[in-house]
Formats: sequence, structure tokens, C-alpha cells
Amino acid sequence: MIKPRYKVILTIYGLVFGFALYPGLVKADDNTKNGDIARGSQEWANNCARCHNMRDPKEFRDDLWRPIVNHMRVRAGLTGQQTRDILAFLQSSNYTVVAAAVEGDTTRTESSGLSGEQIYKQTCVACHGADGKGAIPGVPDLRTRLSKSDETLLQSIKNGFQSPGSPMAMPPKGGNPNLTDADLEAVLSYIRQAFK
Amino acid sequence: MKNISRKVLFGTLFCLGMIWVPNLTSAEEDTAAMKARIEALEKELAEVKALLKEQIQQSATKEEVQAVKKDVVEKVQAVKKDVEVAKTEQAEWKTYDSTVHLAGYGAVGYTNDDPMNDRFNQVQFNPIFHYLFKDLILLESELELAIEDDGATEIVLEYLTIDWFMNDYMALVGGKFLSPLGQFRQNLHPAWINKLPSAPSGFGHDQAAPVADVGLQLRGGFPIGNPMYANYALFVTNGPELELNMAGDEIEAVETAGVVSNEDENFLFGGRIGFLPIPSLEIGASAAFGDVALEDESDRDYEAWGFDTHWWWRNLDIFGEYIQQEVGSLASSVAPDEQEWEAWYVQASYKLLPTKFEVVARYSDYDSTHADQEQEQWALGLNYLFAPNAIAKFAYEFNDGLDGEPTDDDRLFIQLTYGF
Ligand code: HEC
Ligand code: HEC
Repeated sequence: MIKPRYKVILTIYGLVFGFALYPGLVKADDNTKNGDIARGSQEWANNCARCHNMRDPKEFRDDLWRPIVNHMRVRAGLTGQQTRDILAFLQSSNYTVVAAAVEGDTTRTESSGLSGEQIYKQTCVACHGADGKGAIPGVPDLRTRLSKSDETLLQSIKNGFQSPGSPMAMPPKGGNPNLTDADLEAVLSYIRQAFK
Repeated sequence: MKNISRKVLFGTLFCLGMIWVPNLTSAEEDTAAMKARIEALEKELAEVKALLKEQIQQSATKEEVQAVKKDVVEKVQAVKKDVEVAKTEQAEWKTYDSTVHLAGYGAVGYTNDDPMNDRFNQVQFNPIFHYLFKDLILLESELELAIEDDGATEIVLEYLTIDWFMNDYMALVGGKFLSPLGQFRQNLHPAWINKLPSAPSGFGHDQAAPVADVGLQLRGGFPIGNPMYANYALFVTNGPELELNMAGDEIEAVETAGVVSNEDENFLFGGRIGFLPIPSLEIGASAAFGDVALEDESDRDYEAWGFDTHWWWRNLDIFGEYIQQEVGSLASSVAPDEQEWEAWYVQASYKLLPTKFEVVARYSDYDSTHADQEQEQWALGLNYLFAPNAIAKFAYEFNDGLDGEPTDDDRLFIQLTYGF
């Protein structure tokens, strides 16, 4: 019944399955495994505009992003790790400015020990690009914003910001809630000095 | 005896008197002192009274304080309870096992064909249902509801799959799915994604690009370095069906709507691999092999090949794709000839940020062994993006097909689409 050529193909499928069920690899149902926000913002910028316009992190609640990223995982052939990282980024970038402002009262002020450049390259580079000109559609050239005062810019970075009619919002702290006030000041002075 | 006792009595009285008399003598001064003391005492008493009064007053405030305190405690407890509830709720949102989600899109449109045939001809709703159990099982299904020419509503189960995430690199997908061959049909055709209101020439139903199929699929991705990465899809499906022309002597088209029968008893095997050397460039290759047969005839070869690519840089997106399907010859058949359908397109789009406009140009070419199917097309479009997923499209197609065939008519489109 089965032609030799198909036997070969079936064998390949069998091998793939054996590999799939190898115990060390079966770990997909672990809900608690956390994604990494910094990696997530990079993966999001790399992958989520591959087929369609970039969807705004603010568009959906935490619990809704989960089936969506799993749907996209199947569509785009993402790895489980990429999916979890992107989910972590989206879930930390969709909260409102109000919540950020309340949280701001208790923000730690000590620096995380990273330099402004390190913080930029971890958290901001995915969207703003190494040259500050914007890596994905909707992210403006930072140079066009630097005439604003430090105070205004820090406020934008801390609480998130969206110009009227802009296609994408700047997420509070670039989506990384671990950044302290001191970190934000450091990264802003890096931006001022790097993108004159 | 009596006298003695009397003497003692008087003696005692006398003694007592002696003690008392001196006191009597200073009585005058003492009264003054006494008066002073009493006055002092009275003053003290008044002071104490005042103090007492004050204290009484204070103790009254204390009660009030107590009441306030109680109030505060109650409020704090309520807040604590709220926080507890919020925390539990938050934990609940973080630890739930199942999620239900409705996605999808809709599109409405107007078309004007040359010569003069204009109408509002598109009303289409595609709900997509998602049910996710942990990060383990995803059920995804899309329905397409569209109004046909006669007003009836057509319902198509576009896809229904149950996806099992086996590990970080693999998902097993079973059911009816969009053909994993190429990129347009599986990734770009939804109205809010497609930058033009129409499919490229040759990428519509029953043309060169396979649309859907029923079977099993293994999909996933794996890193090759950083950021180099690849994704893949391997499948085994029932495969396509063949459609004869009116005269019944030629194979007119390959039907890839996705059927749950497999009369030719041959499965179709195939897959696609996508390679991303850098995140902004994807290069994909697809192939599928199997045998097909007309009813009650013997098998003939079926093959599909495809290449696709996407490159983007800031506001510019460039897509390109080539696809072909081929059915082998069979001398004993009522339709003995081999047939081939082949199509390709290149599309460039540019977002005119910071405005909401986007311009699109697409060239597509569809070749077939049937001359009446062939078409060469230029499509130009201007889109207005209310949001990344809500778009108004204006487009014009310059079509070149066989003279007199509908494939030769130019078309004007206006479309409004929203993906949610
Ligand atoms: C391989 C192409 C592809 C990539 C890459 C991709 N998407 Fe999608 N996305 C689609 C398609 C196709 C749909 C429409 C779903 C449908 O019609 O079945 C969609 C739909 C969506 C939707 C609408 C809701 C839904 O679930 O249908 C959202 C939101 C979304 N994608 C976000 C993302 C995010 C976030 C990423 C990055 C992880 C991403 N997409 C990457 C192809 C892709
Ligand atoms: C998810 C993508 C994203 C990330 C990550 C991100 N930004 Fe932004 N940023 C934006 C967008 C989009 C805008 C423009 C928003 C607008 O004007 O509507 C913006 C705007 C800004 C502005 C200008 C604000 C103003 O008031 O005009 C500054 C400054 C800025 N970002 C700094 C940062 C810093 C610092 C980081 C890292 C901590 C960061 N961004 C991370 C997307 C991002």
C-alpha cells in the first residue's frame, strides 16, 4: 500500500516525534516559567511586524495577550522561550499611565548599577534602535524630541507617552518596571550625549 | 474607793483640761491659719475640680477618639481586604488554566470593474475563536461569513485546529489549516493584513497557490545563533482534488479548499522552512509531493513548489513570493494532459509617517496551461491607517488577461477593514 518514498517520509515524522516526546523537552505546560522583559522587547520588535502592522501592547489586557501570543507562536514558528519573553514584555507595557503615576510614589531611587548606555542597550534599543532613529515603524527619531526639558522627557519615560494620533505609545519605563528613577536619569543623559 | 476613783476621774479631767487649755489660749491665731488652710484647700479643690472637669472632658474626647480609631481600623481592614482580594484576583489572573478569546476581522468594500459595473460587493465577517489550556493546548478556529451575489450568506470553516505545544520547539497542529506552503495564503490574506483589497494574481481560490488542507502539521522554530533563527512546518494531509473543465477533457484547476475525504487514498506530504539570517529578512522555501487521481482513475503525480521572502527597513516593507502547482500526465485518463499553474508577485509598501497614510504597489503574474486563466497585473494603493488594524484602502488594478475575459478588466476598489 505505502510507497517506499512515503515510508521514508513517515520514518522522518516518527523520528521527529520521538524527539518531541523526549522527557527533557516536554516542558511546554509550565505556566510559571517567566519570560524576560528585555529579551521580550527585542523579540517583539524583531518578530511582531514580520507579517502585519505592529499591534500596540496597550491594545489588550494581560490575560488576552496570552492566547494571542500562543496563536502567533503557531503562526510565526516562534520558540516557547521567544513567546514567553514577548508575553512578559507585552504584559509589562500595557498598563496605564495612572497606575504608573501611583507606583511612582514608591519608586526606588537608587540606581541599579547599570550605566545609561547599558540600560539603553537592554531596554530601549529594540524600539529606538542603536542610532536612536527608531527601529520599527511608529518610533520617532529621538533627536526630534530632545528640545524638550529633562523634566518633561523623564516624565514621558517614566509614565509612558503617546502623542495625539501617534501609531504607537512609549510604554512606561520602556516596559521594564525594574528601572529606578536614577536609572531613568542615567539613560536620559546617555541619550542626550549619544544622539546630539 | 469611791473617793479614789473620783480623784482619779477629776485628775484625769484636769490633766486633759491642762492639755486643752493652752490650745484654747492660741485659738484666735489658729482660726486665722485654719481659714488660710481652708482657703488653700478650697483653691486646691477648685483646681482639682477644674482638672477633673478637664479630665472628664478629655475622657469624653477619648471616646470620640476611640470611635474614630474604630472607624479607621475598620477602614484599614476594608482596604486590607480589598488589597487581599485584589492580590487574589491578580494571582487568579496569573494562575488561571483556561482562557477564551475572540479575535477576527471584518471587511466591507466597493468594486468597479471595467466596463462599468460598480457595486458594494464585499460584506465579510471572520470571527476567530481561541481556547487556550495552560500554555499546552490551543484550539483556534476561524469562520468566514460572507454575503453572496444572491444575498445568501455563505459560511466557511476557514480553519479549525487543535494545537499541542509539545516542547519549546514544536507544536503539533491537527485539523483543517491554511496551507503552510508560501506566505500569502497563511500569513497575509486577512483583510486587515493584506495591504491591497485583492489577492495577487494567481493567489486566489483554485488558482496557483494552495489554500488549505486537512491533516496533521508539525510547526515550530529554533534559534541558529543570535539573532539568526529559523521556523518550519511539516505536514501530511488528504491533499488536493482535481476539477475537470466543462468539456471534461482537461484538468481545469486543483481544488485546495481542504476536504475531509481522501478518495485517491494518497496523502500529501510537504512543508516549508523559513530562514531569518537577520530579523528584518525572511527567506522561505516550500514543497509538497503526493499523488492525485480523478474519480475511478489511477494515480498521477502532484507537486507544489514555492519561494517567499520578506524584507523590511523602517517604514518600508517588501514582500515577494513564487508558487507553482503541477499535475502529471496520465495517458489512460479522460484528461490525459499535464497541467501547470504558476504565479508570483512583488509588493512594496511604505508608511508615510508621521501621517497615517501608506502607499502600496504590487506586481503579480499568473501563468497557466489554460490561457483564459492567465493574468498580468499592476496594483496601486493608498491606505489610511486609523490604527494598525483598522484601515481604509483605495486601490486600482491594471489587469492584462486574455481579450474579452474578466481577467482583462481593470478594477477599482474601496475597502474598509478592521481586525480585532
Ligand atoms: C508569520 C506571520 C505573523 C507573525 C510573525 C505575527 N503575526 Fe500576528 N497575525 C498573523 C495573522 C495571519 C493573523 C490573523 C489571524 C488569522 O486570520 O487567523 C494575526 C493576528 C494577530 C492579532 C489579532 C488577534 C488574533 O489573535 O488573531 C494580534 C493582536 C497579533 N497578530 C499580534 C502579533 C504579535 C504580538 C506578534 C509577535 C509575537 C505577531 N502577531 C506576529 C500573522 C503573524
Ligand atoms: C515598545 C517600544 C519602545 C521602547 C521599548 C522604548 N520606547 Fe521610547 N518611545 C517609543 C515610542 C513609540 C515613542 C513615541 C511616542 C509618541 O510620541 O507617541 C517613544 C518616545 C520616547 C521619548 C520621547 C518622549 C517625548 O516626550 O517626546 C523618549 C525620551 C524615549 N522614548 C525614551 C525611551 C527610553 C529611555 C527607553 C528605554 C528605557 C525607551 N524609550 C523604550 C517606543 C519605545
